[in-house]
Amino acid sequence: MKVDVARQRELKWLDMFNNWDKWCMCVFQVKLRCRKGIPSSLRAKAWQLLSNSKELLDSNPGKFEELEREQGDPKWLDIIEKDLHRQFPFHEMFAARGGHGQQDLYRVLKAYTVYRPEEGYCQAQAPVAAVLLMHMPAEHAFWCLVQICETYLPGYYSAGLEAIQLDGEIFFSLLRRVCPMAYRHLKKFKIDPILYMTEWFMCVFSRTLPWSCVLRVWDMFFCEGVKIVFRVGLVLLKQMLGSVDKLREVQGMYETMERLRNIPPESVREDLLVQEVRL
Amino acid sequence: MAKQYDVLFRLLLLGDSGVGKTCLLCRFTDNEFHPSHISTIGVDFKMKTLEIDGIKVRIQIWDTAGQERYQTITKQYYRRAQGIFLVYDITSERSFQHIMKWASDVDEYAPDNIQRILIGNKSDEEEKRQVATGQGNKLAKDYGMDFFETSASTNYNITESFTRLAEQVLAANKKDLDLLRASVTDELNLAALEEEEGITDGAAASQKGCWC
Repeated sequence: MKVDVARQRELKWLDMFNNWDKWCMCVFQVKLRCRKGIPSSLRAKAWQLLSNSKELLDSNPGKFEELEREQGDPKWLDIIEKDLHRQFPFHEMFAARGGHGQQDLYRVLKAYTVYRPEEGYCQAQAPVAAVLLMHMPAEHAFWCLVQICETYLPGYYSAGLEAIQLDGEIFFSLLRRVCPMAYRHLKKFKIDPILYMTEWFMCVFSRTLPWSCVLRVWDMFFCEGVKIVFRVGLVLLKQMLGSVDKLREVQGMYETMERLRNIPPESVREDLLVQEVRL
Repeated sequence: MAKQYDVLFRLLLLGDSGVGKTCLLCRFTDNEFHPSHISTIGVDFKMKTLEIDGIKVRIQIWDTAGQERYQTITKQYYRRAQGIFLVYDITSERSFQHIMKWASDVDEYAPDNIQRILIGNKSDEEEKRQVATGQGNKLAKDYGMDFFETSASTNYNITESFTRLAEQVLAANKKDLDLLRASVTDELNLAALEEEEGITDGAAASQKGCWC
């Protein structure tokens, strides 16, 4: 992207930030700008405004520290501790055992279990919180996580995991309409949606797509919600299993699962993905 | 393309979060150990072909998320398995205590003739050991299972334990296997079997050598 275009976009976003309440009314315009990609220098702030987590943060001063001071349920803390070094282990922020990234991750995840003791901790929350921490301080990331768990993907992380299983079924029936070829292939090899979409959806593709795509998907997700997750999933299946040639490469349950669990980065291009998702 | 094999079956790795299920699997199928890896969310699987008593055995090993709430998902796959690894971490007393719960879930959701084996992983971390070898042995005996202490990190007892479970599954399904041998008498039949590979993933395949 040209420097002047980037600069212009930043200015537009800064103007939106300054008049956020007014801009909130122009849903369509904001949506369009999010689809173009939020300038990386302003992404953290935009995510917090779009998700309303900024409002939660401002209306709950001191709450995060208060949650941090609580002891927490050892049942959750035990699992959280085991997961700290298993998120983005090659990202410089999370690579070091006991480093700042891992410490902050612990603070955020633990605070959530104290905030919602009946929900506790779900392992898929860790990569989501980690992505947030790459962009913002722990307290901000915490409120953003709260919004994702409660407003964007309600029930996804709850005991029983019913919401994700239900969405898996819905996703599969949408696939039938959107790409019958992929649908028939998955059906033929008895590959239930839950086998490939659990990680895609629960981690909002943060473990699935090349990083530049992850950010673009999250930009749209914060603006438009869970429907983006469905659409990205459908686009991926269409790209992986949507033609005779592609199906020929994955003749078997194992081959298909391998392809869906390790999507070749060169097969997803940021601009094309976003373009497809819009349709 | 897929290699030729005589039989295909499924094994399942179960156990608490962080006991090393994914590492055991990586070591066995790819002979790799990654100290840095990510937690398993949902279900994953890998394949490997072994030769046991002259039979080419293709095994599909399912790796599962250890956290309790994922069990609503993973339980659905118990019934598709012929063999189960119950894995604990020798440096975690808690993971060992939970084996009983895992075993009772297997009893409830898995097929009756399921073969089980007990694995105490991370045997290289002797200085942090919380579960004595004798305790593992005793538990395995009580449940009528074989027992191995393993280390994915140092590649200790990995092939041994996977092969043992595969042998047990073979033995338990001996009758079907003899049927298979009787049916596979020449190359043509083998090729036909191979062609069926994709489709044989279902119940209809039982007499063709797939017990899934």
